[in-house]
Amino acid sequence: MKVKPSEYLREIKPVLLRLRDRLLQEYPYASILASDSAAKQYAVSKTVTSVGMTGWMSGRGFVVKVYDGSCYGEYSFNEISEEQIEDIVAKIREELWPISEKLPDCVKKSVYAMLEDEPLVFSDSTDYEIDPQEYGDEAIIRELTAASEAGRSYSDKVLDCRAFVNYQKYSKLFLSKNRDMEQNVLWMAGGFSVMAARGEELKSSYRGFSNLGGAELLEKMKEEVCDVAKVALELLESEPVQPGEYDCVCTPETTGMIVHEAFGHGVEMDMFVKKRAQAEQFVGKQVASNLVTMHDGASAAREVATYFFDDEGVLAQDTVVIDKGILKAGISDAQSAMHLGTAPTGNGRRESYQRKAYTRMTNTFFEGGQDRVEDMIASIDYGFLLEEPSSGMEDPKNWGIQCMVSIAREIRDGKLTGKIYSPVVLTGYVPDLLKSISMVSEEVKLGGGGMCGKGYKEWVKVSDGGPYIKARIRLG
Amino acid sequence: MRIAMIEKILSALKTAGVEMYQITETKTESAELFFIRRSLDMQRKKNVCQAEVVVYREFTEGGKRRMGSAAVQVQDSLSWEQMEEMFRDALYAAGFVKNEYYELYGSQKENVPGSIKASDLEGRTLAEIAHCFTEALYAEDIETDVFLNSAEIFASTKACRIINSRGVDVSYRKSKIEGEFVVQCTAGQDVETYQDFAYEDMDTNALRRKVRETMEMTRARAEAVSAPPAGTYRVILRGACVETILSYYVDRSNSSMVYQKYSSFRTGCDVQGTDVEKDRINLTLKATVPYSMEGIPMRDRELVKDGKLQLIHGGNRFAYYLQIEPTGNYRGYRAPAGTVSLDEMRSEPYLEVLNFSDFQMDSFDGHFGGEIRLAFLYDGEKKIPVTGGSINGNILEAQKSLVFSSEMQVEKNFEGPLAVCLENINVAGNSKK
Repeated sequence: MKVKPSEYLREIKPVLLRLRDRLLQEYPYASILASDSAAKQYAVSKTVTSVGMTGWMSGRGFVVKVYDGSCYGEYSFNEISEEQIEDIVAKIREELWPISEKLPDCVKKSVYAMLEDEPLVFSDSTDYEIDPQEYGDEAIIRELTAASEAGRSYSDKVLDCRAFVNYQKYSKLFLSKNRDMEQNVLWMAGGFSVMAARGEELKSSYRGFSNLGGAELLEKMKEEVCDVAKVALELLESEPVQPGEYDCVCTPETTGMIVHEAFGHGVEMDMFVKKRAQAEQFVGKQVASNLVTMHDGASAAREVATYFFDDEGVLAQDTVVIDKGILKAGISDAQSAMHLGTAPTGNGRRESYQRKAYTRMTNTFFEGGQDRVEDMIASIDYGFLLEEPSSGMEDPKNWGIQCMVSIAREIRDGKLTGKIYSPVVLTGYVPDLLKSISMVSEEVKLGGGGMCGKGYKEWVKVSDGGPYIKARIRLG
Repeated sequence: MRIAMIEKILSALKTAGVEMYQITETKTESAELFFIRRSLDMQRKKNVCQAEVVVYREFTEGGKRRMGSAAVQVQDSLSWEQMEEMFRDALYAAGFVKNEYYELYGSQKENVPGSIKASDLEGRTLAEIAHCFTEALYAEDIETDVFLNSAEIFASTKACRIINSRGVDVSYRKSKIEGEFVVQCTAGQDVETYQDFAYEDMDTNALRRKVRETMEMTRARAEAVSAPPAGTYRVILRGACVETILSYYVDRSNSSMVYQKYSSFRTGCDVQGTDVEKDRINLTLKATVPYSMEGIPMRDRELVKDGKLQLIHGGNRFAYYLQIEPTGNYRGYRAPAGTVSLDEMRSEPYLEVLNFSDFQMDSFDGHFGGEIRLAFLYDGEKKIPVTGGSINGNILEAQKSLVFSSEMQVEKNFEGPLAVCLENINVAGNSKK
């Protein structure tokens, strides 16, 4: 079934069109992004159950972007009516533009051309099988409660099992002089976090799930909670890894973190504009093993970051970032693309209507190869299978890697020994790691359980993944 | 005539049959500037009003008294009928949230109203605040090989009103200036340092100092060419890392962790264990807003004294379960100066880390670590800048031998020693010496 459009946006659209026309009387370019979003989260653990809308992802709101002939300004607000149109126009004139009236002498205003506004009328919705709102709070809580109980009853060493899901159903309108675009999207994500205690130290294992769709995700999650509990118990026997450089096999989740954190942030082209990304000098050059082909794009996969157009009214794309080891292209928002003289790639995304658009990743992944996972493990004399990525941080300027994984399973003489090391920090220089990739599995998996920040803010939903890869990685 | 959003909410709650509720209305206004090098790239203005309404429902199941709740987000563009439907749905959903019974926080007659230090940001326009801090930001950008690459400034005012069905009706207004900047250095290697900032006063000098220090740090990083050799080090952590290390004790003493048995901390316990060889921790929770999200008046409270826990802190619900006083949830804390100067810390071989890509503490297992962006390695003879490699430690081991510096730092949410020294920390670095 297709996600239904927002009734509110349909009702308010005539008012938005009048606001657009009124703004175009004063500015050569004006656009309005309107959104109506309902996001809800559910969580069940031993002693705490919670259900509620996610504040920062929910609500109705608008962002107006205007061009005064040389630069751009934006006004975010969440109430509009016919009577308020003149008030909004006055606020833009009297409160937005004066913010930059008294800049220090050394600071000038950027001069931009006007954004392209080719005519485009568009409307589409993503599909789902089960609407989480119709499925109902009772059923969702019941299923999460059963999963939490199953995780806790796996062993008396399990301290707690948190089962959770969240979803966002959003509708967006993008209106400019020549564009009238509408999209309706639903995604759902969830997971289990199982904790086991070793004295004061709590070890936990996590597994995330996601889909572009609805509550059909719950069926996918059902079978795996005991496996997560098993891993949490295994972690009780873990010890710190001896720092060093090792041959490693990365699971698709770990590959996804490397793709996203280590390389993906470095090809966000607003970083090229700021001269903050080393990747800019490497376009057309070898940055990875020729086994590596990397994609990013809202239309490159069907996952949580799939949409039809971005928050600047640019249609979604599938960008081939690395083709057989050669860096081909970055991803960009509209304003960065204009600055660089390139075409925008549909990656201009906002945390919400309240925030600025930046170049952001969407669904980011490596293509699969031809190797079998068992052959990859068998090829290693001494090394590790890296599982459960927990966090990562980008360093586009210097291509340093900081990624953390919860589990390094020891491989000796081509076999998993059963010994586990945890936690593990991956470090090194991104091209060194990517060039060391020597085997790539056929199977490719994407996951969108988490959120991505730009630095420490501007959270957006993304998915990442890829195949199992074998690489040489510095662990600590 | 338009009725105020709060009145509309209260009326819809009543018709929906909701007897227990909490409403938090937030009006936010901001002025935002985005710079690339010395050019203003974008300016933004924001004006939004939203409310979170938590609906509670008491019920009995299997002889057990329960308290369920469900939260909804509302705004003025919702019709009265839409709000009423949302509250009915939330009340229905709350019936499946089978939490142990607790009472909502109630207005206490004897309470001293919450208060925080008056800010001199109040009374100024957001544009004026943004201008002053932009001046401060660029005042130190006077060199050619080390400079501001980019920056973002957000001046904002938030007006918050909290109402609940047990008589709480409090409100406050708060302004702040926050943002981030990136310093780039092209002398030697081309490197950068990311830095964020947040102030609640017109302390433009603090931003100038931060820019200057970040420029010095970035210049040093440009000279660092390799990672330290892998091994075990006496590590000195600086700046925000001290706050992160101490966050373990703040998190572990939170009532939600204690009640759920994720933490064994009890009032009077030795938070660092019993065999402390060096400094004992002292911590005070710092009120950064006059009222908590539940309307609990906030004040500074002593958390740890000479290594002993003085308080289990947190919101109303877990305090009710643990039968302790609810304190509200704190974002800020402070620690006193140590007795050893940074120079004294540096009298023996050390690895002093000035900047990580992202230093993290896991309060569940005590693990801390991060990738080194800039550190100084002193082997007893010479001091060299290093970059790369990572630190991987555990506070449960390290807490026995913490040493805090006598020099202090003051940030928005943390005041405390500028540095902490930890023994025998594993560092992943170059395998060849």
